[in-house]
Amino acid sequence: MDLTELTRTLSNLSGPSGFESAVYAWIAEYLRPVADEVRTDALGNMIAVKRCGKPGAKMILLDAHMDEIGFIVTGAKDGFLRFGMLGGVDQRMLPAREVKVLTDPPMFGVIDTMPPHVLTDEEKEKAFPPDKLCIDVGLTQEEAERLVPPGTPVVYGNTFEELGEKYLCGKALDDRACAAIIIKAFERLCGEELNADVCCLVSTQEEVGHRGATVAAWSVQPDAALVVDVTHGRMPDAPEVPCECGKGAAIGIGPNMNPALSRELIALARTRGIAYRPEAVPGGNSGTNAHAVQMAREGVVTGLISLPLKYMHTPVEVVCREDMDAIVELLAAYVESLEV
Amino acid sequence: MLDTMETLCCLGGVTGGEDEVRDYILERAMPHADEIRTDPMGDLMIFKKGAKAPARRVMLCAHMDEVGLIVTNITDGGYLRFDQAGGIDRRVLLGKQVFIGPERVPGVIGAKAFHLTTPEQRKRVPAMGEMYIDIGADSKEEAQRQVHIGDLAAFSDTVVRFGDGFIKAKAIDDRAGCAAMLELIESDLPCDCWFAFTVQEEVGSRGATVAARSIEPEVALILETTTAADIPAAEGDKQVCRLGHGVVIPFMDRGTIYDRELYALLGRLADENDIPWQTKTMIAGGTDGSVVQRTGGGVRVAAVSVPVRNIHSPASLAKVSECEDQLRLARLFLQEMAK
Repeated sequence: MDLTELTRTLSNLSGPSGFESAVYAWIAEYLRPVADEVRTDALGNMIAVKRCGKPGAKMILLDAHMDEIGFIVTGAKDGFLRFGMLGGVDQRMLPAREVKVLTDPPMFGVIDTMPPHVLTDEEKEKAFPPDKLCIDVGLTQEEAERLVPPGTPVVYGNTFEELGEKYLCGKALDDRACAAIIIKAFERLCGEELNADVCCLVSTQEEVGHRGATVAAWSVQPDAALVVDVTHGRMPDAPEVPCECGKGAAIGIGPNMNPALSRELIALARTRGIAYRPEAVPGGNSGTNAHAVQMAREGVVTGLISLPLKYMHTPVEVVCREDMDAIVELLAAYVESLEV
Repeated sequence: MLDTMETLCCLGGVTGGEDEVRDYILERAMPHADEIRTDPMGDLMIFKKGAKAPARRVMLCAHMDEVGLIVTNITDGGYLRFDQAGGIDRRVLLGKQVFIGPERVPGVIGAKAFHLTTPEQRKRVPAMGEMYIDIGADSKEEAQRQVHIGDLAAFSDTVVRFGDGFIKAKAIDDRAGCAAMLELIESDLPCDCWFAFTVQEEVGSRGATVAARSIEPEVALILETTTAADIPAAEGDKQVCRLGHGVVIPFMDRGTIYDRELYALLGRLADENDIPWQTKTMIAGGTDGSVVQRTGGGVRVAAVSVPVRNIHSPASLAKVSECEDQLRLARLFLQEMAK
């Protein structure tokens, strides 16, 4: 499947933090024909492994997370669903928002707006307080209670589309666009003669604290890890953001990355003509799975490669297809360059 | 009726650019019309003979336009600045998908990621002038190859039926009324009737002003939609009207005090035919009725509206049965006019 179609498929799957099984199932099925081994664990991670068959080969971990931000139903009033947040939801995005309520089968819903006439002048200037919003599923109270019990997860409705010639837009591109990238790189590596074993980890529960990667990095025991996540891309109202969409892979430099590995990635990108830009990442926790992976067991040599993304945590996240291609190249080039 | 409405909702007809809607209606109405008029503003007026000539000249009226956005500028970076075309609560805009211009160029309304905002900014919705549409162009030149200043942008056009007989679409206001009128045109009528499909209702009933002068009706029935705020956050009278409680027959809104006899007639017809109906519990909103009423020497005006949640948003919701009841009640009204 071509990278755009793979991203479309993954974007449209439903898998908020803690409820990723549909995403797991699809990716596991997709990779089973090419991988030597596909397995999961207690947190629902998708772990696919390709072994090179050489004694003493190193294990290289590629990670991206499969979970997306979302909501969880807490109750119903007058047939409307009350909800809480799963992960860091941008609450300004909610009014008149189409959602998928993850019952079986899923149910269409809309987060209702409050018309201006029910608001005071002061309230009119503000974003809607989320505790006043509710999900409209067009049901009576009795039906809502029966069909949508508390604890039912909810995600944004599907929005995937291509913008212009180079850009992809959709929900959950944080981090499914990167999941598509590592899957694509892994697929390619599976068809090659390598000097290292490769693990493709599509991990769960990143948005609530890197929980999936914490346990998967433990069980996989990688010798080196490349974590692929999104970083803010420059937006018209955030001109100070250093990374621009369309300028290639952002290679992280900072305490959360192994400096030698960062240098190696940059050198590799330069010699192979892969578009990149160094990204300074201050602090010990980059806010990505690199934080968990780097401190797995007795420590892991970890690199962070980021895909610039506009409008993070909205239903219309935007990434550049060329940047995705660059990261696929860089990941594959890194593994291919390893010697025995 | 529902298929017609779904088709109409998907067409782009932002106020001032109703061509797609007009072309579609004209094509379907043409074989059934006895007279067709348009005017320089873009209104479409269809006359159809019925079983008899009514005592008074009757006009039905629904507006073709919808609220949307208009491109006001293109930035050096290739983003589109916009303003509203028709009244939109700007809080429903962030993160929405739109399509722009006749070529239907897809775009999204972006906003700085909330991680980068201050706690104050996080609670505030940017002013319309601070928002922008991203069409995936890297420069002004690239954007200008696809869109132009003055292009109109409409909300994403997927229609969904869900829940207990609900429909979600953009532009239910007022394609519901247009669909009802189109169904009437395609059926046998009890009496002669003029149908006015008007433009620019959302910016001040500008199309209806001139269309009514052309038709010179003596009696007019406006087929509209109206704000329903029947959500838990609004209580009592502030809910205005409620989905599932019948079509709305208004006695008064901010533009019109409706003809008392016609108001009573519609209520009686609904009661006699088991059509659930309600009236509004707040004096809010307005319809083309305001200008039609004050046309020439004056016109007797009434309205039947479908209650709509999230009106003027990309995800407006209506009850299918109430769209059908609007059509039924309009037909009963024409039967009464034939007497």
